[in-house]
Amino acid sequence: MGSPTDEFFASLEERGPELLPTRARGTIRFDLVEDGRVGHWFVAINRGNVLVSHEKRAADCVVSTEKRLFDEFATGAAHLITAYNRNDVSVQGNLPLLLVFRRTFPSPPGTRDPRERVRARLGGRTGPGRLRTRSPARMERQETQQ
Amino acid sequence: MKELVSVLDGSTFVLSDVQGDIDWSPDYPSGLFAGDTRFLSKWVLTIEGERLTPLSIDDLQYYESRFFLVPGEPTHYVDAKTSVIRHRIVGGGFEERLTVLNHRDEPAVLSLRMEVASDFANLFDARDGHSRTGQSTRTVEDGRLRLCHRRGRHVVETVVSSTEPAEVDEDGFTFRVHLDVHGQWSTTFHAACLMRGADGGDAGERPRGNLPERPDRRRELVRWMAAAPQLTADSDVLEDTYRRSLIDLAALQYFGIAPEEKVTATGLPWYMTVFGRHSLITGYQTLAFLPHLARNALWILALLQGGRLDDFRDEEPGKILHEIRYREPGGFEEQPRSLYYGAADTTPLFVILLDEYEQWTGDAETVRQFEFEARAALTWLDTYGDLMGDGYLWYERRSPKGLENQCWKDSPEAITYADGRLPTHPRATCELQGYKYDAKMRAARLAREFWNDPRYADRLVREAEALKVRFNRDFWIEEGGYYALALDGEGNQVDALASNMGHLLWSGILDEDRAEQVVRHLFGDRLFSGWGVRSLARGQGRYNPVGYHNGAVWPFDNSLIALGLRRYGFEEEAARLALTMFEACRYFDGRLPEAFAGYDRKLTRYPVQYPRACSPFCSSAGTPLALLQALLGLEPHEGHLTIVPAVPEQLGRIELVGVPGRWGRIDAFGHGRLRLAADE
Amino acid sequence: MKRLVSILDGNTFVVSDNRGDIDPSPTFPTGLFSYDTRFLSKWELRVNGERLNPLSVDDLQYFESQFFLVPGEPTHYVDAKLSIIRHRTICGSFMEVLTILNHEDQPVELTVQLDVESDFADLFEIKDVKGKLGTTTATVDENQLRLCYQRETYRRETVITSSAPAEYRPEGLLFNLRIDAHGQWETQILVETLVEGAGGRDIRINLQRHHGRSRDEMRRELDEWLARAPKLTSDCEPLEETYQRSLVDLAALRYTPLATGDRLPTAGLPWFMTLFGRDSIITCLQTLPFTPELTAPTLRYLAMAQGVHLDDFRDQEPGKILHETRYGESTAFEEQPHSPYYGSADSTALFLILLDEYERWSGDTALVAELEHQARAALNWIDRYGDLMGNGYVWFERRNLRNGLENQCWKDSWDSISYSSGRLPDFPRATCELQGYAYDAKMRGARLARLVWGDPLYADRLEREAAELKQRFNRDFWVEKGEYYALALDTEGGQVDALSSNMGHLLWSGIVDEDRAPKVAEHLVGPRLFSGWGVRTLAVGEGRYNPIGYHVGTVWPFDNSLIAWGLRRYGFREEAGRIAEAMIDAAKYFDGRLPEAFAGYDRSLTKYPVQYPTACNPQAWSTGTPMLLIRTLLGLEPHGEHLMVDPAMPEGMGRIEVLDIPGRWGLIDAFGRGRAEHRGAARRGTD
Repeated sequence: MGSPTDEFFASLEERGPELLPTRARGTIRFDLVEDGRVGHWFVAINRGNVLVSHEKRAADCVVSTEKRLFDEFATGAAHLITAYNRNDVSVQGNLPLLLVFRRTFPSPPGTRDPRERVRARLGGRTGPGRLRTRSPARMERQETQQ
Repeated sequence: MKELVSVLDGSTFVLSDVQGDIDWSPDYPSGLFAGDTRFLSKWVLTIEGERLTPLSIDDLQYYESRFFLVPGEPTHYVDAKTSVIRHRIVGGGFEERLTVLNHRDEPAVLSLRMEVASDFANLFDARDGHSRTGQSTRTVEDGRLRLCHRRGRHVVETVVSSTEPAEVDEDGFTFRVHLDVHGQWSTTFHAACLMRGADGGDAGERPRGNLPERPDRRRELVRWMAAAPQLTADSDVLEDTYRRSLIDLAALQYFGIAPEEKVTATGLPWYMTVFGRHSLITGYQTLAFLPHLARNALWILALLQGGRLDDFRDEEPGKILHEIRYREPGGFEEQPRSLYYGAADTTPLFVILLDEYEQWTGDAETVRQFEFEARAALTWLDTYGDLMGDGYLWYERRSPKGLENQCWKDSPEAITYADGRLPTHPRATCELQGYKYDAKMRAARLAREFWNDPRYADRLVREAEALKVRFNRDFWIEEGGYYALALDGEGNQVDALASNMGHLLWSGILDEDRAEQVVRHLFGDRLFSGWGVRSLARGQGRYNPVGYHNGAVWPFDNSLIALGLRRYGFEEEAARLALTMFEACRYFDGRLPEAFAGYDRKLTRYPVQYPRACSPFCSSAGTPLALLQALLGLEPHEGHLTIVPAVPEQLGRIELVGVPGRWGRIDAFGHGRLRLAADE
Repeated sequence: MKRLVSILDGNTFVVSDNRGDIDPSPTFPTGLFSYDTRFLSKWELRVNGERLNPLSVDDLQYFESQFFLVPGEPTHYVDAKLSIIRHRTICGSFMEVLTILNHEDQPVELTVQLDVESDFADLFEIKDVKGKLGTTTATVDENQLRLCYQRETYRRETVITSSAPAEYRPEGLLFNLRIDAHGQWETQILVETLVEGAGGRDIRINLQRHHGRSRDEMRRELDEWLARAPKLTSDCEPLEETYQRSLVDLAALRYTPLATGDRLPTAGLPWFMTLFGRDSIITCLQTLPFTPELTAPTLRYLAMAQGVHLDDFRDQEPGKILHETRYGESTAFEEQPHSPYYGSADSTALFLILLDEYERWSGDTALVAELEHQARAALNWIDRYGDLMGNGYVWFERRNLRNGLENQCWKDSWDSISYSSGRLPDFPRATCELQGYAYDAKMRGARLARLVWGDPLYADRLEREAAELKQRFNRDFWVEKGEYYALALDTEGGQVDALSSNMGHLLWSGIVDEDRAPKVAEHLVGPRLFSGWGVRTLAVGEGRYNPIGYHVGTVWPFDNSLIAWGLRRYGFREEAGRIAEAMIDAAKYFDGRLPEAFAGYDRSLTKYPVQYPTACNPQAWSTGTPMLLIRTLLGLEPHGEHLMVDPAMPEGMGRIEVLDIPGRWGLIDAFGRGRAEHRGAARRGTD
């Protein structure tokens, strides 16, 4: 335990139902290569519920990559689909299922909620009732009146 | 701007000059492209060292064309003694059958050469003329030429072979062709486009498979045409355009990221991939004709819905995709394109299409299936979409390479004040609020009828109504009698007069008593060019008749406006808009481009081409279908199809036989009874 | 297949690229031309040093076009900040209105540069540029740029002026401008072409139409021309389109030769913008029912220019009708013989045929009386100078060996007359259609002699000679083995036995024996001659057959129109209809404008008719083709004071109505209907 990959799978059963559509259904096996050895993660998804094991079973979708890279997926530092596009990940079988599973990966480290960013920048000038809409024409007129 | 000839099949396409040659230069984006990668950048035929001169081109089918050529420059009284036919087909790979005819009364021996090269540029390099990274090799093996490009583990290859024996070198094929008296010779070239998977095997199980048999392809097209309603009309332009649109939509179908369903590519040549916005709009435009386009769009976009916060991709949970790119452009993180989410309109449009789709098809199963994604989308509208927390839908990019404007007018200068200044961020354009309103109203119906959640439905209706009230207060510009283009980061009105407010009619967010004023603006001489509604009104600071989003006329924009006009009861205006678009179609051979120039019609006899516009373009191909819907007044209504035609007399009779839907198939007829007031 | 844009007014025309620029090209005549001389060989617009890019071209009228341009290569998301409109007209002179629109919200400063040059090339020099013997000078003063060419007393000038202030330089015009935010700037640039005669006067000064016609006058004239023509409505849209297009093109191709004030048809843009005897006569024959006003001036002009003496350089003989007339430098200095040139053996007989046909339609016996002398001289030519061998046939052999034409029939390329094996015969040669024309000319001459000239004895003689010719011809030209007429006879009296379209003209002339006609018709619509788009000039399988050979395999629309007419004459209604339908189908793919010729590939091989590489467009007798086809389909034939209508239309063509056909009867309407409705079944099902 302790690697980002381990932590990712360890929390998956709990996070899954919230992140995955209820219609999602199927099995994915991740074959992760580390120091010449292959570790297996077997993920069974059924109506949003997720079961994780180390079984080496036939799956609807088999994903092979290096453990080192998967660690980066697990922390959000790398992106599964991009890596697939440059052939650092190989996928056999049901690609759509993997695309659904994509939802379980976290944001890149240090990502802030965009709302907080904007609202922090604009100070208190956000939120309901803030708006005093004026067209520029009207503004000009008011300025000249002053 | 040399002429380009294109053949395409989904995301595989060939752009060549009128000789059929591919000879890349920065201002001339020719090539064989597949999956956003150029597999051939040179494909030049010479006979006795001479380039050929075109006589004519048969565009047989969208995936097939034929060039008739002669060597040299023939002149009067000096006849060409040889002619050459290049017959090419794309579909996964590329095939060219070359036939040489000898018109001499004696045998001839000719030296024929095909120069072949590939730079394996990605589409963006091809467009922008950038150089690229990685290593390329060229090898000759068993009479084949293998061109290969490697960048990390990403390997792409073009393997070119000829059915007739040739001398093959690293730059191409040479033939000594022996021709009898009046004889002929032919060979067939195959260019296979290979993308090596991570295991080194050909990743061809996916998108870009082998060349389907031609008869299959023809049968497929025949089936496609037969599935759509049959149109007969007095107007030949209408019939031609309808046919052209159906064919172009067929041509743009391809296997996207997964082999389950074909999806609609956006536009040739720059956008041969899925764009969320245009897939959804095309799906909407074609519901009365090809309802499975909507279903497939919903399917792929649900699959690719945003799942996390990712600044580089402007991604947020619940957000619907802006654009997807494959392979190298999508594989190396120079641009956020593998999956990019920088669009604020796709998410409400997804919900709108889901509801509209059910109203036409009665496919309740799909609505139930996508409940999770639809709710996630609705949640997004009120959370990440509402950046300012004031109930509106806002956007602001986080990705440094992302789009500044995340509405359909996504060029950097598209959103402006009347005086031309650019507003601060975030921005809330008016049509986004319309979409948000419509999405909630429609979702309420779905929640009530299919998701078994009436309380949610009530809440959505309440929120939508509140939004409508607020919107009509905050966006209305009293002095001008129109809706502001947007609100800026300070909450001020961005007061340019633009086509965007036409979409408000389509969404239903407009107060009834203001619709008349909006319509007057849309058809006023500042917005209406005579060929359609301009994206930005003449007289605005940034108005430019050849400005992409600042004055050009966009067919799809006009189609939504026409549907909106019908929604608010402006039958005559809808008919007028449809008529002008069909008149423009005549000059584009039935194929509306992405956009055309906004010059006043009085100034130009023809609608003027917008430079580098995509054509075909999916939502422009969908436009004539949406306009037909508007003309015939086709609406699903409580399980039935209502037909309330309002056809201008210039178009005569329109018969649409076999409109598919939950009612089975129904025929719709309209007669040109509407006499439009003369143009001012 | 570079896209070129041309506008024209008779023999003054501009050919440019799709930006509106003129770049001299050796292979195709781009430039401003008038009376066979190029007055502008360069006309290049630059804004801030940059060439422009075209958005689109409006071809407003044949004499008017408009180009929409932007600087640089605009890309997605980078909008052009300027647009440039070049609106040009040819109304005697060449006028270009240049408008620049500033789309920016602030003023711009621009340098606009128009580079101008003239090489004063003769049209004949363009394909084969030679060193000019005269000198060209450019002079500049405050408000104009004059380019001048002088060779001895021969002088041509181009004068360029701009309405807006400009800096005039020897190499062009320069404008330094400032345009306000969203503002525009405009100038009118006038290019006048001066053809100076003795004393420095423009030799065209007497031509009322030369100068001072405004665009509005041009438009009004065109409107009147269209209003005078019969109105055609048809179920067949391509037919309507091609008819309309033909009327406009015919208007465009009218020009005024220096010697008269009348307007005659020129032969074709760009190489043949001058009077050709053969082309003009055939165009008039084709268009008589629709635009008869072209015919009388053509007959008068040709009669006036009729050959009077023997002149080897010009292949001239007394009584012969001209082949071609030109006004360029090479003709003036006798480097070319076209002043005029008489090297055609068919124009003389065709002149007589047109004269008679004209009278049948118009009842204008006055003109027949007026031209009696010339008509008799033409009939004499047939028997004297035409009959080189003294055996009662019409023969040809050039005497100008330097640049005369080898073949003096309509197929006038060097290899067009060949044996089936591909071998070329010796000279002189007697092609079959020449004999047909001679027969017809005599028969028609006889009618005129009896009716107008009051010379029944002469009439009897002509008819006797014609009958003898017919008999002789059917003996000597009939190829027993293949059951068709030989293309020609050689000097030994041997048959030049290639199977070709020429024998189609024999039906039109009436020289074919009735019992042989079915065989001829069968060949014409058989697979060797009929491509599916029309009758080929030479049959598949002949030694020199070449589907893209100018006269040895391509399909010529005018040829087909005469063949269809001939088939009708002999009662082959279905075959005539088939050819007419194929031509109208082809016209659809040429936007209603049939070219001079198109390729002879089999229709099953090509979805569209394939362009012939350098075909002229528009070409007068191709323009006339749809009209003769309509005449043929409706079976229009003058009969005394009446017009007979006897429609024979293919199934599927639907209805044709022609209203107000002019003639000696006043105005008459004609209707025809295809026997079965083309799409009737499909349409009825949904009504």
